[in-house]
Amino acid sequence: MHDCCNYSPLKTRREFLAQLGMGLGGLALSSLVNPAMAADQKMIPKAKRIIYLFQSGGPSQFELFDYKPKVNEMHGEELPESVRKGQRLTGMTGFQNSLPLARSHFSFAQHGESGAWISELMPYTAKIADELCIVKSMHTEAINHDPAITFFLTGSQIAGRPSFGSWLSYGLGTENEDLPAFCVLITKDKSGQPLYARLWGNGFLASQHQGVQFRSGRDPVLYLRDPDGISSAQRRMQLDRLRELHTLKAGQPGWEDIESRIAQYEMAYRMQTSVPEVMDLSDEPEYIFDLYGEDARDPGTFAANCLLARRLAERGVRFIQLFHQGWDHHGGLPSGIQVQSRETDQPSAALVQDLKQRGMLEDTLVIWGGEFGRTNYCQGRLTDTDYGRDHHPRCFPLWMAGGGVRPGLSYGETDELGYNIVRNPVHVHDLQATLLHLLGIDHERLTFKFQGRRFRLTDVHGTLIKPLIA
Amino acid sequence: MSRYWIGFTVLATAGILLGGCKRAPEISFNEQIRPVLNDRCVNCHGGIRRQGDLSLLFRHEALMTAESGEKAIVPFEPAESELLRRIAHTDPDLRMPKDDSALTPEEIQTFRSWIEQGAPWEDHWAYVTPERPPLPKVSNPDWIRDSLDYFVLARLDEMDWSPQSEADCPVLIRRVSLDLTGLPPSPADVNQICIAEDLSYEDYVDLLLSLPTYGERWASMWLDLARYADSQGYEKDLGRTIWRYRDWVIRAFNEDMPFDQFTIEQLAGDLLPGATESQLIATAFHRNTMTNTEGGTDDEEFRVAAVVDRVNTTWEVWQGTTFSCVQCHGHPYDPFTHREYFEFFAFFNSTADRDLDSEYPTLPFFEEEKSTEGSVLMSEITKLEDAILAQIRSDSLVALRRTWETTLNQPEVIGRVPLMKQNEVKRVVATPEKDRGDAQIWTLDHVYANLSDDPVITRLRSEKREKERAMHALNPIHTPIMQELPFQRRTHVLERGSFLLKGDRVAPDTPDVLPAMPEGAPRNRLGMAQWLVSDENPLTARVTANRFWEQIFGTGIVESLEDFGTQGLERSNADLLDYLAVSFMEDHDWSMKSFLRSVVLSATYRQSSHVTEEAIRMDPHNRNLARGPRFRLNAEKVRDQALQVSGLLSSKMYGPSVMPPQPEGLWKNPYDSRQWQTSEGDNRYRRAVYTYWRRTVPYPSMATFDSPSREVCMSRRIRTNTPLQALVTLNDPVFVEAAQALAKRMLRAEDSIAAGYTYAMGTSPAPEDMDVLSTLYTDAFAHYTENHEDSASLTGESGSIDLAALTIVANAILNLDQFLMKE
Repeated sequence: MHDCCNYSPLKTRREFLAQLGMGLGGLALSSLVNPAMAADQKMIPKAKRIIYLFQSGGPSQFELFDYKPKVNEMHGEELPESVRKGQRLTGMTGFQNSLPLARSHFSFAQHGESGAWISELMPYTAKIADELCIVKSMHTEAINHDPAITFFLTGSQIAGRPSFGSWLSYGLGTENEDLPAFCVLITKDKSGQPLYARLWGNGFLASQHQGVQFRSGRDPVLYLRDPDGISSAQRRMQLDRLRELHTLKAGQPGWEDIESRIAQYEMAYRMQTSVPEVMDLSDEPEYIFDLYGEDARDPGTFAANCLLARRLAERGVRFIQLFHQGWDHHGGLPSGIQVQSRETDQPSAALVQDLKQRGMLEDTLVIWGGEFGRTNYCQGRLTDTDYGRDHHPRCFPLWMAGGGVRPGLSYGETDELGYNIVRNPVHVHDLQATLLHLLGIDHERLTFKFQGRRFRLTDVHGTLIKPLIA
Repeated sequence: MSRYWIGFTVLATAGILLGGCKRAPEISFNEQIRPVLNDRCVNCHGGIRRQGDLSLLFRHEALMTAESGEKAIVPFEPAESELLRRIAHTDPDLRMPKDDSALTPEEIQTFRSWIEQGAPWEDHWAYVTPERPPLPKVSNPDWIRDSLDYFVLARLDEMDWSPQSEADCPVLIRRVSLDLTGLPPSPADVNQICIAEDLSYEDYVDLLLSLPTYGERWASMWLDLARYADSQGYEKDLGRTIWRYRDWVIRAFNEDMPFDQFTIEQLAGDLLPGATESQLIATAFHRNTMTNTEGGTDDEEFRVAAVVDRVNTTWEVWQGTTFSCVQCHGHPYDPFTHREYFEFFAFFNSTADRDLDSEYPTLPFFEEEKSTEGSVLMSEITKLEDAILAQIRSDSLVALRRTWETTLNQPEVIGRVPLMKQNEVKRVVATPEKDRGDAQIWTLDHVYANLSDDPVITRLRSEKREKERAMHALNPIHTPIMQELPFQRRTHVLERGSFLLKGDRVAPDTPDVLPAMPEGAPRNRLGMAQWLVSDENPLTARVTANRFWEQIFGTGIVESLEDFGTQGLERSNADLLDYLAVSFMEDHDWSMKSFLRSVVLSATYRQSSHVTEEAIRMDPHNRNLARGPRFRLNAEKVRDQALQVSGLLSSKMYGPSVMPPQPEGLWKNPYDSRQWQTSEGDNRYRRAVYTYWRRTVPYPSMATFDSPSREVCMSRRIRTNTPLQALVTLNDPVFVEAAQALAKRMLRAEDSIAAGYTYAMGTSPAPEDMDVLSTLYTDAFAHYTENHEDSASLTGESGSIDLAALTIVANAILNLDQFLMKE
């Protein structure tokens, strides 16, 4: 089979654009797309873009989406070895003398026509239960944060692979020449596991596929703002002269790439307008703030980022990656998880509703979840009012909405103690394969040859989970 | 057909057609068959995937009966070879390659002839020791300046092309200065060579090679390979003090340490007899692996991960081979087995480091006046450690110690063991005494040394702590180094690469496909390093020469610098590569300066980069070298050049990494209260090689210009062209400051605008460029005359309209295409 990817970085942009039937006007942050992908007519995409609401730290399934009355019943009793089966524990609870089961502090009820079990911590999410496809049987390979989150977002625990958004930028390019194809929004002022550039890094793909972080504050994208003392009109005038200087070279021997240089500066100039415009929420009507919550007025909050994500989606951004830290509740779980839920519940649900009312939900895939789950047993001291849970990679939930996933579905099942999966497991690579499929991409074909090997997001694994697809 | 298979399938097939007489010419497996197999077949039939139980990677596999009951290839029998039937089949469901375009009739005919000739397989060229190729006859011997030119011109002759004329003098001077030192020439240099002509090009090259900036420039390349960074990596990514290794690399380049020695000292400096401090620092090459300090991680897991990284990096850097594939299974494409991976792993498996937060073992470095006291303390501490170990192993303690061991299961006893070590200790105690390996005994010894209440041990321990405190008070700088344990850790094949799934036990060795280790070489890292730089090793010199070539010409002769295996890209000029490799070893005796000198003195290098439409069409990537190189400067050069031409660049060398301005709020790590402390004075303007490199938060302007995170070894930076780069050079305060400083230089010069351009490019602007720059100046001047406030905020000075307007011009000059490119 032909190498379906751009191995040679030397291929000039002009050649590429010519292949794609695009003029130089098409030069973009991510125009170096994978031609075989663009030409792949076999799969019809259901989703055009992804908004991934990543909940970093490992939200506890027992308090949110995996209702386990048996754990409640056995509260305080030892986790039976017949359930644990010698599974590897982290260094944090590996030497705990006792592993007592801990009941959820919060009650559950069934919601919507689908009857999905959702806890009282997520009242807004519960209202959109029939839009959700809840996977209760996710599982992963890593037990510590860094390897686990790296695995989730790059398909490998080892640093150096491109992130999910970079793969999409590489595979599908962008729909908007004035914005990056892959944008990253991080909730401000949170603590918890650090987030690092690797999670939105391009790995061995070209650097135009790396995620661009949008920040609240004066300089929403690094170096976007003109220096003090250079007005927009001055900048325009300066760029006009610069273009003139470059145009003088066009057609002279040795200057074959000059058009891309000219286009590069023009695009930078357009970004200087388009980015502040997308980040300015002042044109949003009152009812939108009612929907997303008051937090949405405060730039950099999770709510404001959800609203911003919708605006980026409207403008054709391919992959919008939100990060919300703080779910790593080794102790003080009951109070901690209330804060986390309050911050994320309403805006996440609002985003789904907002997309729906705009007719965008059908081709926008929203995902909510973390890098692993938490243990059914308590870490530290178990009291009536307080407990903690350690990392648990064997099962954890995640929800999706829109973008061609089956709504109103709860998929997969864990055992009655919520320790192991008993039905329909979904491995991280399976999820990635399924998400790519929804975007019209065969996960085995989206490859990049590097170090003599065709790399892909799903490594050498990944099975399409068909029941998740509408 | 041409013996140079260079990817021009059209030419290749045309050759076959022309030679289309009855008796087929002898088919070359490596040049005609393997490329087609690799490109069209092995993605499904080879490696991990063996669809239809057929693999076409190795001959013995290709001749086996496949799932269908047929044999794909029967030597001498085209009619019985299923492969031929399938590639020529008319039914699209049966025709191979499946779901893809068919092979061309010429390709099919080539396969037929090859099978008729017995389907001979050839060793992949990269595993065969290179030999010096004879100098070919060329059309124009006068053009030749260095022997390498013969191989380039012979290729051009074949294609009936001519080389470009020599580049204009100022262009060539700028090119060679950027290539050798990473910095542009001064206008005075250009003047001296090109106008006054009192310095020859050759002498200028020698001058550049003698400058300290040479080492800084080439260290940048090497540090990507060494994955050098100032932080530990993983999620906490705490600081790491390892800049003395960076300084070692700069010095090694500047002193022109021969590449074989450069190799041996970095991989095994600690094992050299009477290893010097410098040789110990060199071994920090492999202490650039990441250390995971996340809570609850198993140190053994990440110790193994670090050893794996050392193996993979060694193979990528010296052998251009993707050994990492073999970590989990046999190599899918190249002749390396899973077992061989762990035999090689065994070379690295017995060092004392083990993912400890302290980065143990380290080499303390004392300031000058404290160094005597420091080394005395160090030797006393070593003596005390030996005494403690002797006491632990003394007969008087055997019984006591056995009893102590049984108590290790009790929470209050194990609780005294540092949390991070508890896993390891539990594993040892669970192992029956007779089955324990040296490493396990050693672990337990050390735990016992710290916990025992034997009076002798207690006394020695407290003496040792006192000495350690005294040493600590001297404030030494600790650099992580490699240190061999007094015994070998047991190495096992790790199934699927998991540290928990141990298979067969193996001993240190090199893979069979490559020449064996030199007779009598020790079976340790030192022997392994000597093996890498032995004359017989077919890869080291090729891989290294190719790396240098890529730095200079923008593309390697093998484009995939990191992969010389069967799946790597084909050589653009096989004889040139072999010539360079042999010449590097024999003529230059591994001297990197001497090698680079010959490259930049060659006629090939001196060509103009001007290119005609036709040449672009025929050879868009200049693989045939019918013109000089032209490509964008890398991240380091983009920064250093702007600072240099504006007069800001500091020439200070060495020392702790510095923090030039970066946007606020990038360092947000809850585990780490350290902040980016913007450096003051000179340190604000140091060369990029001294910029603090935090793996999880790369310096943003460098990352935008394609620099890697350095979490893992990276051979090749892919050059991109994005609007974010324009935003850096237009708006990043570092570049704005450079524009301001350049404007001040311009203000002091007679013809300000022309002077600004000359500072940047080494030569004065063309009249038409001058016209546009003057218009820019006039317009800017008019604007700032009306907007005094703007002028003050741009220049930081009031009433400086001229300076503000010049700053706008300077900012534009620093964004000119010709400034950002090497041509």
